[in-house]
Amino acid sequence: MDMPMWMKITSALVMGYFIVRMIPTAKDWLKNGPKGTSKEWLTTSMLLGGVVLFVAFLIVLVRSS
Amino acid sequence: MSNSTPFPKSSVGALETNKVLRNTYSLLAMTMLFSAAMAGLSMFLNIPHGVAFACSLVAIGLVWFVLPRVEESSMGILVVFAFTGLLGVGLGPMLQSYLSLANGPTLVATAMGGTGVIFLALSAYVLTTKKDFSFMGGFLMVGLIVVFGAAILNIFLSIPALSLAVSSGIILVMSGLILFDTSRIINGGETNYVRATVSLFLNIYNIFTSLLHILGIMDE
Repeated sequence: MDMPMWMKITSALVMGYFIVRMIPTAKDWLKNGPKGTSKEWLTTSMLLGGVVLFVAFLIVLVRSS
Repeated sequence: MSNSTPFPKSSVGALETNKVLRNTYSLLAMTMLFSAAMAGLSMFLNIPHGVAFACSLVAIGLVWFVLPRVEESSMGILVVFAFTGLLGVGLGPMLQSYLSLANGPTLVATAMGGTGVIFLALSAYVLTTKKDFSFMGGFLMVGLIVVFGAAILNIFLSIPALSLAVSSGIILVMSGLILFDTSRIINGGETNYVRATVSLFLNIYNIFTSLLHILGIMDE
């Protein structure tokens, strides 16, 4: 389904506003936020990798049904 | 993601943390049911796309401009129900269009079940290990900005591959946010269950819509 132009422009404006709101907070977190160790990042990567594999499994499931 | 108590240091007692956690999950369960009921009503009444879109915009407005003023009072709970109900109404036409596909009911059921599994598995991991994922804050915010930037581009370019990449990115960032938000609750970084509920609700909502989008594209 293709969105009407007014919906596209409004969506873009809302998302743009969200980005503008997020930038100072993101900068603050990057500068002053806690830093993870390589072990913590490895654990996170494994968890998110699990999510990717699970989504791939769901795609296979849907395509075979 | 809420922008309060930026860098958490655990200073809240275990009792208080358990209370926040319990209240968050209770409110989350109630708002999920309410949102699903409103989505059902939206489909039943065959609400036009324009009205659904407007409801979603009002919901975003509530979270951005109204909730921060009332989140410490009982009005906050009312606003959360209004927010989740409006998002449910906004979801109606999209669900209707997926359900009208040949494999539609399977797609919606799979996306729903898949979202549930992702949320429960990631939450259970954080709750059992009690690990602190606050180090992901900067990474997740940059991820959100990149994904939203790509989404804005794709609103006008309508490239299927980019659309798939945006949905995949949203699932990854929202999964990371489930780890981040849950760990903030159990480590004392988030002490307001109204805010915590909205954060978790948005994570689940975005995973569900993005997963449905990916499954819909891959099924074609």
